[in-house]
Amino acid sequence: MSEFVEQCRREWRRLGVPDPLADEMAADLASDLEDAEAEGVSIEEYLGSSAPDPRSLASSWASERGIVATPHGTAGSRRPRALVAFTALAAIVVMVAALLLATGEPKVTLTAARRTPPHLPVPSVHPTVPVGIGHQVQAAAAAPVEWILLVLALGALGFAAWLWSRWHRSRPSLALPKT
Amino acid sequence: MAPGSQRQTELLRGVLDLCLLAVMDEGPAYGYEMTKRLRERGLSAVGEGSIYPLLGRLEREGFVETYRAASKGGPPRKYYRPSSAGRIALALGVSEWRAARVAIDAVLDGVKVEVAS
Repeated sequence: MSEFVEQCRREWRRLGVPDPLADEMAADLASDLEDAEAEGVSIEEYLGSSAPDPRSLASSWASERGIVATPHGTAGSRRPRALVAFTALAAIVVMVAALLLATGEPKVTLTAARRTPPHLPVPSVHPTVPVGIGHQVQAAAAAPVEWILLVLALGALGFAAWLWSRWHRSRPSLALPKT
Repeated sequence: MAPGSQRQTELLRGVLDLCLLAVMDEGPAYGYEMTKRLRERGLSAVGEGSIYPLLGRLEREGFVETYRAASKGGPPRKYYRPSSAGRIALALGVSEWRAARVAIDAVLDGVKVEVAS
């Protein structure tokens, strides 16, 4: 058995490929390499860019057959988990902020605390705004937290959508349609 | 821009599964036989990446059936042939390829190629 096939076998053993399957793949590969050699085709010609990297060939072969987990599986699945958590958090914040805005109570406002000397009159932080003749409403000078949360969460959701689209594009596509 | 051989490899990568299904549809074949059939048709860049992972994927997805049989004077080999799902996938893939080829030709046919001597 050639050194190339031996290195493949070592990689399959390291990956935990069951012996019968490793034997089968090794025998097929060895026979094909012998055929190629008999016809004057070198390993480099036959395997191309895989020729100098038997471990990579063995790994991708086993993972494509579904015998072992894909080498990129760990990184590939970690990112969606983080993305799912991020997206869920942003969605929850959007819902909470929308709920608070819809109910109107309790109205949370960001108020700037300001120390005022006791002998001075406290200025009004809620200036009056005239609305029509004889009517006045109080307007909060500070920005409501709900609106800030809503805007930030919507931005986060948009960012999450962009990350999802990038992740989706980076996944290897199947060349054949599922039937 | 990708050099010529690299582009050929990349183009082939997208349709190599179809090509494998096509050559094994002509008659059951083992790994090396398939590459020979492809090389006879001018696809010499098949080796770039090797067919084995792709055959593994086709097998896992149920697009090929396999069986072991003695080869000519050699040890038993693993032969591949398209399953019924594989034949459907091949037919769909070929129509997609032809549609893409027509569209790309419509764009590229207008290009005048001049090779400097």
